Amino acid sequence: MLLLVALIAAPAHAKVQPGMISPSDWSAYGARFIDTSGRVIDDANGRISHSEGQGYGMLLAYLADDKATFERIWTFTRTELLIRDDGLAAWRWDPNADPHVTDINVASDGDILIAYALALAGQAWNVPAYDRSATRIAQALGQQVIRREGGRLVLLPGATGFSVGERPDGPVLNLSYWIFEAFPVLARLAPEIDWEGLAASGRELLSLARLGPAKLPPDWISAPADGPLEPAQGFEPVFGYNSLRIVLYLLRAGITDTDVQKAILNNWMVQNGGMPAIVNIPTGKALARLSEPGYRMLAATLACAIDGTAIPADLRRLQPSQYYPSTLYLLSLSLVGEKYPTCLR
Amino acid sequence: MLVLIGAAAVPAIGQQFTSPTSSEGTAAPSSTAPAPKVDDSALRFFAAQGDSRRLEAEMARLRALYPNWQPPKDLFSPTPDQDPDLVRLWQLFAEGKFSDIRAAIAQRQAAEPDWQPPADLVTRLDEGEAARRLVNAAEAKQWASVLRIATDTPGMLVCGNMDVLWRVAEAFVRTDATERAKDVYAYILRSCSDPKERLATAQKAMQVLDGPELDSLLALQRAKPDGTPEFASLRGDLLRSLVGRAAQDATLNVSAEDIDALEQLARNGSTADDALVLGWYAFRRGNAAQALDWFKLALDRKGGASAAEGYVLALEASGRALEAEPIAYQWRDAGADNRTAYIDLMAGLLSASPPPRLDQSIVARFAPVVSQDKSATGAQALGWYAYNTGQIRTAASWFRTAVQWAPEDEVSAFGLALSSVRLKDTATLDAIAATWVGKSERILALVSPATRRQLASRAPASSPLPLPAAVAPTPIARPAAVATSVKPAAPMPLHPAPTDRVGTNDTGRAPESSAGRGGAACSRAGAPAFRADRLSADDAVARGWCLLDLDRPREAINAFDVGIRNGAGRTAEDAAYGKSLAYLRLGLTNQAQVAAIETAQPPARAVELSVDLLTQRAIAAYRDARYVEAILALDERNRLAPEQQDLMMIRAWCYFKLRDFASAGRIFKALRAAGYADAGAGIDAIMATTRQWRS
Repeated sequence: MLLLVALIAAPAHAKVQPGMISPSDWSAYGARFIDTSGRVIDDANGRISHSEGQGYGMLLAYLADDKATFERIWTFTRTELLIRDDGLAAWRWDPNADPHVTDINVASDGDILIAYALALAGQAWNVPAYDRSATRIAQALGQQVIRREGGRLVLLPGATGFSVGERPDGPVLNLSYWIFEAFPVLARLAPEIDWEGLAASGRELLSLARLGPAKLPPDWISAPADGPLEPAQGFEPVFGYNSLRIVLYLLRAGITDTDVQKAILNNWMVQNGGMPAIVNIPTGKALARLSEPGYRMLAATLACAIDGTAIPADLRRLQPSQYYPSTLYLLSLSLVGEKYPTCLR
Repeated sequence: MLVLIGAAAVPAIGQQFTSPTSSEGTAAPSSTAPAPKVDDSALRFFAAQGDSRRLEAEMARLRALYPNWQPPKDLFSPTPDQDPDLVRLWQLFAEGKFSDIRAAIAQRQAAEPDWQPPADLVTRLDEGEAARRLVNAAEAKQWASVLRIATDTPGMLVCGNMDVLWRVAEAFVRTDATERAKDVYAYILRSCSDPKERLATAQKAMQVLDGPELDSLLALQRAKPDGTPEFASLRGDLLRSLVGRAAQDATLNVSAEDIDALEQLARNGSTADDALVLGWYAFRRGNAAQALDWFKLALDRKGGASAAEGYVLALEASGRALEAEPIAYQWRDAGADNRTAYIDLMAGLLSASPPPRLDQSIVARFAPVVSQDKSATGAQALGWYAYNTGQIRTAASWFRTAVQWAPEDEVSAFGLALSSVRLKDTATLDAIAATWVGKSERILALVSPATRRQLASRAPASSPLPLPAAVAPTPIARPAAVATSVKPAAPMPLHPAPTDRVGTNDTGRAPESSAGRGGAACSRAGAPAFRADRLSADDAVARGWCLLDLDRPREAINAFDVGIRNGAGRTAEDAAYGKSLAYLRLGLTNQAQVAAIETAQPPARAVELSVDLLTQRAIAAYRDARYVEAILALDERNRLAPEQQDLMMIRAWCYFKLRDFASAGRIFKALRAAGYADAGAGIDAIMATTRQWRS
């Protein structure tokens, strides 16, 4: 019954409004992680930039209703990363390399975030050029990385290197690249792509990917047509920094009642004292507990959404630590502010 | 889809460059036309900044857009009414801070929803961003993207954005639209005026175009202030690259005028470059004497390692190997090619039979180089030299060293086996025979009378039997007659014995074309006449084949040289062919190729068909991973025609696949020394497989 409600409710939630991030949190984030050229800096990762970070930056700027910063980040993204022949973004940009793009491959969640932010901003701020760019990226995603592989409609993580033809254990997928909230928005711009089918296969894969004693989805998973899901070869078999955000993406898309969310909630709340953890899939043992505010906010948001638990006092404003947890924090806080305001009382 | 986008971009940009812009084409008769409303904010900003370069570029742009436009007279007077925000925006534009401008515009529009930035600023900003994006796309080799950006923003394709124009031209080249690249270059040479950029444009065009297309571009040159044509200096570059390419590829033709012109440049100049190019050209075309002169000139002009290498090879090819030795030795450490040249030269000298009279110091100073390089070829040559001069114990020691360094090398093992026979060292002999059982009949024959009989019954009458029992070679004495000569084989790198070749005709190594030839002509009777260079060409060639049959390639080369010098037509062709085979047998592939083109082979020779068939058979076998068969086909082909470099590569990879790394390595190295760059991959593969190489 609950599930049914969530499904019906989902389209209504699809459109997030600008203004859900406070000016003070946003300026603290920008001062720390966005330079004047519009580059979003991953300070825990050699101060490189990537398509995912640019996409997060644009989405957060939209949520903060900051048109100027949105333009700044988009200008950098367009001139420095959106240079591929196929219309998708190069994923990796290194300030210390020349040329700066050190890997021309794609990280498809970055492209989804960029197109999603453009589509939201284009409509809310009435900028047709944003809509046009979002449409082009969405169409390119449909041509390059949204494909039927291993018997399912999947989102390949990159333009090269992950498909059935390129890996013996292919397709290799990253389930945290399914940013469910973006699909209905992009469907408006590129209706020829089966976004609903992509969302459905994402939900199915998440259900099947509960592996190991802890029943958690690994960051990188092999999903062949003729066999069970397994951690992909060549990657650490962990529920790690990638998979952490699955919870957030499901909740932001209005999905609250899946088995995988329950498994994650159990692992964080019962096994690891309210903290997200990096968990080894084969053993089910926690390799590290993540106490940084940004990660703890993920657990607090999940508890809020499922049990109505109030957000702890120390998590009510941004304490910028590093780019990634700070980004997850702002996305979580804006979600709570919009959909679960009672958790902030 | 991608291709479509690329293709769509091509005609659009092509037009951009082929049709002159209307503003240039039409004269403006319009004193009556209304004065256009021109946005001159950029102009005023650059004037205020004193940025004359940008000011001029902007004026040129506005004139192109509005032919009737005149710059305002008050350009340099202060303009108090100017919007301070705009001054700041143009300032940011001048600094290339595009993101800041976009942010500032958005900020102002958030506060003043009706405010619009000047159209001129937006256009310039779009073009600036597109140029930056295009350069980034080019750096990432996203050529379709480069062309798409150029099509979307044609306004940036102007002389002021030379880097962008060059990269668009490169994108056309990389997408096989060279014709359109030519359009871009022509546009630049017709429209743009910076002398350095014009020269660089011509140089870029030279790298991708040639013939009449290039000529028509270079014809767009202008006169320099001193009256000389601006691209005169490029003529030399052009010749140099033309002749340089022909030196690598014998199928390319260079006109006599071009050669003359480069020769004149070389003589009148003071650097070694041109002489070097001419040296290699002459050498690779078989003109060793001329090559020698150019390499000498290059050496005198401090042409360095390449000049020394060429000089050594040319001297050696002229039959003056002994003279080459001091130079080869002096330059041995200058580079890998020099090292190889020295070792090959010494290997040739030392392996000759009868051994040449060598100063002991020459041999003595070669030995440490061999040890340092762990050169199996060198060790083996020292082995033969010692063997042929009766120093059997020394010979055994060098052969043993060669076997250690190249355990798969049959020739070294054979040398060690022969030496062991002479030293009555049965333990060593048995050990070698055990290693090579099933792989080398001639080694087995040293311990097995049955194999010996078998070989003897099978060998053609004119072939030498590699049987020590028939004769214990008297070291210094020259082997006099066929029947008694058992001469240790000179190194024969192209002809080792891979495992699967047991039972094939390993002894009948003489080329088929020589069958039935020679014999008597090899006799002593010919020798004095030969020494006096009075032997007829036919007799000389017959003597050459005969010597080759006796596995005395060095002497055979001398005989074939007489044939080439004194003969004509078919005889000279035969001689050149024989000479190339002799070089191949010595493992000196560079020279083999020279010899092969010394006299052009006739076009319609009956063997050509079988050469083609054998080539196909070899390639097919190689593709099917039937490596032994591929080698056999190549062997057969080798008797009919010299092996070209690509087939040598196939042969080498076959040996590699059969794990005969010594043979594969020798060919790869010889090919690399001959300038065949792909051979490097083979050497690396061997290094990687045999773990000699740590990266």
